[in-house]
Amino acid sequence: MEALLGPDGVLSDPEELLVYESDGLTLFRALADFVVFPRSAEQVAALVKLAGREGIPFVARGAGTGLSGGCLPSEGGLVISLMRMNRVLEVDYDNQLAVVEPGLVNLHLTWAVGPRGFYYAPDPSSQQACTIGGNIANNSGGPHTLKYGVTTNHVLGLEVVLPDGELMWLGGKTRDTQGYDLVGLFVGSEGTFGIATKIVVRILKKPQAVKTVLAVFDQVDQASAAVSAIIARGLVPAAMEMIDQLTIEAVEDAFGCGYPRDAAAALLIELDGLAAGMEAQAERVVAACRDCGARDVRAARDEAERQLLWKGRKSAFGAYGRISPAYMVMDGVIPRTKLPYVLGRVNAIVAAHGLRVGNVFHAGDGNLHPNILYDPRRPGEEARVVAAGAEILKVCAEVGGSISGEHGIGLEKADYMPFIFSEADLACMRRVKEAFNPTGLCNPGKIFPSNKACVEVGPAYRPHPIEEKGLAQRF
Amino acid sequence: MPSALPDKLRTLVGASHVLTGVDCSPFVVEGRAPEAVVFPGTKEEIAAVLRAAGEAGLPVTPWGAGTKMAIGSPPNRLGLVLGLKRLDRILEHEPGDLTVTVEAGLPFETLQAELGKRGQWLSLDAGATERATVGGMLASDASGPRRHLYGTARDLVIGLTVVMADGSLVRGGGKVVKNVAGYDLPKLYVGSFGTLGVLAEATLKLRPRADVDRVVVARFDRLKAAGAAAHAVLGSDLLPSALELADAEALRRLSLGGGAALLVGLDGIAPQVDWQVAELQRLLGPLGLGETSVLDGGARDDAWRALAGLGRPGHDRVAAVMKWAVLPAQIAELMEAGAAAARRNGLVGAFTAHAGVGIVTAVLAGGTNPNAVVSALTEWRALANRVGGHAMIESAPLAVKERVAVWDTAGPTLRLMKGIKERLDPHGILNPGRFVGGI
Repeated sequence: MEALLGPDGVLSDPEELLVYESDGLTLFRALADFVVFPRSAEQVAALVKLAGREGIPFVARGAGTGLSGGCLPSEGGLVISLMRMNRVLEVDYDNQLAVVEPGLVNLHLTWAVGPRGFYYAPDPSSQQACTIGGNIANNSGGPHTLKYGVTTNHVLGLEVVLPDGELMWLGGKTRDTQGYDLVGLFVGSEGTFGIATKIVVRILKKPQAVKTVLAVFDQVDQASAAVSAIIARGLVPAAMEMIDQLTIEAVEDAFGCGYPRDAAAALLIELDGLAAGMEAQAERVVAACRDCGARDVRAARDEAERQLLWKGRKSAFGAYGRISPAYMVMDGVIPRTKLPYVLGRVNAIVAAHGLRVGNVFHAGDGNLHPNILYDPRRPGEEARVVAAGAEILKVCAEVGGSISGEHGIGLEKADYMPFIFSEADLACMRRVKEAFNPTGLCNPGKIFPSNKACVEVGPAYRPHPIEEKGLAQRF
Repeated sequence: MPSALPDKLRTLVGASHVLTGVDCSPFVVEGRAPEAVVFPGTKEEIAAVLRAAGEAGLPVTPWGAGTKMAIGSPPNRLGLVLGLKRLDRILEHEPGDLTVTVEAGLPFETLQAELGKRGQWLSLDAGATERATVGGMLASDASGPRRHLYGTARDLVIGLTVVMADGSLVRGGGKVVKNVAGYDLPKLYVGSFGTLGVLAEATLKLRPRADVDRVVVARFDRLKAAGAAAHAVLGSDLLPSALELADAEALRRLSLGGGAALLVGLDGIAPQVDWQVAELQRLLGPLGLGETSVLDGGARDDAWRALAGLGRPGHDRVAAVMKWAVLPAQIAELMEAGAAAARRNGLVGAFTAHAGVGIVTAVLAGGTNPNAVVSALTEWRALANRVGGHAMIESAPLAVKERVAVWDTAGPTLRLMKGIKERLDPHGILNPGRFVGGI
């Protein structure tokens, strides 16, 4: 591998490997035998072929911001880091697409096309750090997916290294490619179908106007009802985010973004699109919120105030560091009309385990993020967190929802797949996996219920001092 | 067909739901009649029929309303046609969730009418016929002008229940609008033309209906000018729901005169639509904009339907229809080159395009000489391939399909597609031979 990549392209020293032993979900850890840094698709293909010849498992890794342990080398072997393949290869403004490498940071694509009035729509909260390749693996979402869809709705083509080392294009720059939708299948396959080495994405024109509204409620149920009421009035906001009281307090302690501390819940609602009619739409939003009992509804007066409101939302995870030594974020999805019921159940479940929970989530599409706060120094607390998390996901499944909206199954939720899929459903998925990955060497142990013998669980992460100061954050 | 099978099918689904002999004639595919047509009433009955067909080694062709049966390579053998018309219920519609779960045989127009009562719609275009079923539209990945803004079936299907070749029931996706649990099987089944399983139920994302929905028909003297106008719209702040380019021959066949036209769909609340109509005229004025009309209500629906019906087989001497997928910026030039290629072969080409997404409908007309049709279609495919795009035949006579491949090449990815097919339908009983690369 050193002959292929050069001496600075391979890590094998245990201290250096330690850096790659987990992703953003620090509950799970697994050590690789090697971490390698290819610079081209051809090098990735050569590494994958080598791994195949030697029978070594391998897994691709981007920025490591994942939250399900999806990029962990749970059976040892190679971690193939794509962080040196981070170029924007081509931007075609006429056809509104870009070709990028997988290690490109999500936000950097928007920076690259921004000067010409374009942006890349999928905006995971980790977008300052996460890579587009990782977004492909997880079919990542973000606050604005309510209107603009998730990653899969923005990907046209992928150059991939298949698990046997063959390099080929799935899809391309044009729509409606011939045959099965292999691009659609690959996106969200969590690195088990191969490694994307070039990615063709759509870029969108920046909207002419944006309007951000903050609605404050004395009861969580009122805020939940407002979400449905806004939809019922025929509006499709770009984003509709809910923040509960515990989270508001943490955010205000940390950043002072102007959320009222005594509110039970706040809704951050963003409209975008044409300037014409924007006021009329905002009035509909305000009316819907007031009808549901909002005690205060206000629109951001300028871009600075808008950014401050979003900072409160996007920094919420980091802010939990102010009020708890650790937390675990869940990622269930429910039909949005079930919000009041499920939020009640979430609070009851967590309380029954003697823990606290903060909720900050994509209310518009029913994607919950309960953050269970705990102290890993207290014996047995971590086990209660895991148990409460599983119960929450069971409730999501019971109301017709899903166990993951955007973080992926990875290692964390593999054993929960039977909550929503039958044996026949899983058997079908396994057969599809075999068509791509017959040896199983490509990212083994993920998605499907299986043993986790080689994975170390806990002790958990402690927030870094710079995280507590709000200078960096986990997402 | 094994003689015991019709009796077995009658036992499974009821005697009145099995057709044999001359009764099968409305279900002929590419000149071949099926050995029986069977209409199961539940997904469990679909499973039982598939198991019986599997045991008898008989191929099965799923059938919604049959409106897309012209698409595909000629089947080697037609066994059972499995009609889904009895599975036509709306199973669940929760307006607050903007989702609906339906059975596959539900007519699309029936669904739209029901959703309309609650101020919602499924953002797909019906096309030229009112009979299409939801399942058929998903299996054939049907799309129309409004894919420009609202995407295609792949963007709208959030869950599917499929009956597999072995009779097992498999669910992919779910009922929520955001879901990354497990592989995205709905993507695999959308557009798979019944080769991987029989779609039984689908859960779909809905949209609120717009207050106002109009089409601006903008006329130009020449196609080049209309193409430049489309480009200008794409680079502007406008957010059209549809952007259709039509050439002179297409307009002539729609009784709209000649020249070229851009049909721009604009929907939303009144101030949005009003501003966009005005802005469109301001933007296109300097680009040679001629006569402009704004259509609403029935006139708007008629315009979309007429456009979709341009290539209806047998309609005004249509010989074949091809669909090209190319880059948006190439469209006008390729349409002109396509028209010239048709003329060289003594035929006429009529072209419309979803100008913002790069999909061209190329209608070949004016004669039925197979040599000329084959030659023109071959040239058309070469045109699309030369710019990195591809071309598939949507409809053509059997004599032509035997000489020009219906589907464009899937390249090296065919190996993956065949691998998936073999694993999900190991005995090859689902619609064999009709899809890409002989799948």
